[in-house]
Amino acid sequence: MTVLLATNELTILFGGLAAVNHVDFYINQSEVVGLIGPNGSGKTTFFNLLTGIYRPTMGEIRYHGENLVGLPAFKIAKRGIARTFQNNRLFLNLSVLDNVLIGMHSHQDSSWFDAIFRKGYVEKEFKTGVDKGVALLELFSQDLARECYKRAADLPQADRRKVEICRALASDPRLLLLDEPSAGMSPEETEELMEDIHRVREKMKEIGIVIIEHDMMVIREVAHRVVVLNYGRKIAEGTFDKISNNEEVLEAYLGREETHAEA
Amino acid sequence: MTENRRLATVVFVVLLLILPFVFSKSPYLIHICVMAGLFAILALGLNFQLGSTNVVNFATAASYGIGAYTSALLSVHLHVSFWLGLVLSGTVASLFGLLLGIPCMKTKDYYLSLVTIAFGLIVYVLLINFSWTGGPNGIPNIPPPSLMGHSFREPIRLFGFNLPPQSNFFYLTFALVGGALFVAHRLHHSRVGLTWNAIREDEIAARCQGIDVTWYKILAFCIDAFFGGVTGTVYAHYIGFISPENFAFIVSVVVVTMVILGGMDNVFGVIVGAVFLTIIPEKLRAFEDFRLLMYGVIVVTMLMFRPQGLFPQKLRVYHK
Repeated sequence: MTVLLATNELTILFGGLAAVNHVDFYINQSEVVGLIGPNGSGKTTFFNLLTGIYRPTMGEIRYHGENLVGLPAFKIAKRGIARTFQNNRLFLNLSVLDNVLIGMHSHQDSSWFDAIFRKGYVEKEFKTGVDKGVALLELFSQDLARECYKRAADLPQADRRKVEICRALASDPRLLLLDEPSAGMSPEETEELMEDIHRVREKMKEIGIVIIEHDMMVIREVAHRVVVLNYGRKIAEGTFDKISNNEEVLEAYLGREETHAEA
Repeated sequence: MTENRRLATVVFVVLLLILPFVFSKSPYLIHICVMAGLFAILALGLNFQLGSTNVVNFATAASYGIGAYTSALLSVHLHVSFWLGLVLSGTVASLFGLLLGIPCMKTKDYYLSLVTIAFGLIVYVLLINFSWTGGPNGIPNIPPPSLMGHSFREPIRLFGFNLPPQSNFFYLTFALVGGALFVAHRLHHSRVGLTWNAIREDEIAARCQGIDVTWYKILAFCIDAFFGGVTGTVYAHYIGFISPENFAFIVSVVVVTMVILGGMDNVFGVIVGAVFLTIIPEKLRAFEDFRLLMYGVIVVTMLMFRPQGLFPQKLRVYHK
């Protein structure tokens, strides 16, 4: 098993608040890790640290032997870390296909000069991109592939999620970070999402996926290993069954039982 | 669909070609057409920033002026030909665009606009205060371009018609508008145009797709400035006299208004906006004092009721 990415004592302070506090984390190739924890426990902040949106106060992010700390977000993305966002950040006024095409930015190389003077080159680049983009969309839904010229803003929530995942996959990432993909979905749509994740893993065998979820059904279904955060600290780690019986985890989610209630 | 479009283009070009013949008795109308064309190029340049990338740049007048002064000084002092000056002044303006772009990248939104306004004002004040730019008196006697022995200040004699000298610049300007349209169209339908749009829609998401936002914004600054520089050159040699007043802040405001009115990131709309806003003030000369008010009303009305402009951006369609 090769380690894809590992953090060492990763910490970020917002004023006096440690949103992520000395977190040691790792993910292997072709592994799915569930990242769970109550609201405000630092899960999304952790993603923002991995993708270079925030710069950690302390600690290290090792990815293929390289420390990613201090690299700008676009360089981290170029190295093969793709993500989706909690509240969906599609390019709303562009078509579905354009959204996916932008996901391929790192693999394309035509410049402004090519755009003006080398029409053939740009057309070829687009053709390859469009074929790949449509194939990706087809993997998720035939309807989406058929309606790939629809404006992203005109899609229902569940489809937007799918497009966002397609956009992330378009860059052929080695590590995919999914931030609450099932939020706002119906049980049927969530079911479909889990199938989609399985399909992605079948197609891209080496990809590592970190998934933030509140829906424990999803975590039990797709995650090989679960990491639990609470107040920015890692409080538990292990298989889903092990985690679901961990006292500290139950306490974080449900609160402490008041033993001296009667007093 | 595409055939219709080709036909429309041909008809339009033919109409443009015969226009000076129709107006051969009224050079003033041809002059307005030239100015409309020049503003169309400025607006197309600004559209890369304002329309495609959502960088609200108020320094169009600066690159326009830098271009005009560069080629005017080159031709008056060093007798550099207009055609070479055209390329040189575009390049110089681009370099200044780069110079402006770098500090702008440290700021965002309104603050970025403030930096561009400051840049425009600095250029304006410097043009007034430097002695080698002629100070407030500007530069007179800029020679007209000539092509194959034909000076652009001479009338065109063709098929028994006597076209006023303005028609030289009319054809030149619309050839350049054609070139600008070509560049704008190619850029829009390329990875660069798509990337600019991604930055406009969501900068953070764009960064997470591996897009170097800083570089692409600076690129937009440079290309815009090139367009401005070229336009300034034509203007300087057309009028034959330039002064700082021609490149005041209001010019930038006018160009911003053109893009907002016509349509963000719609090449056709931007040109309509430019032509419309060049003709209207001429028609309303009597109300000259209210011109600024008019631009303000147009911008506020558009942003409130139709922020995408008269002609909104169309979705790209790829041919398989």
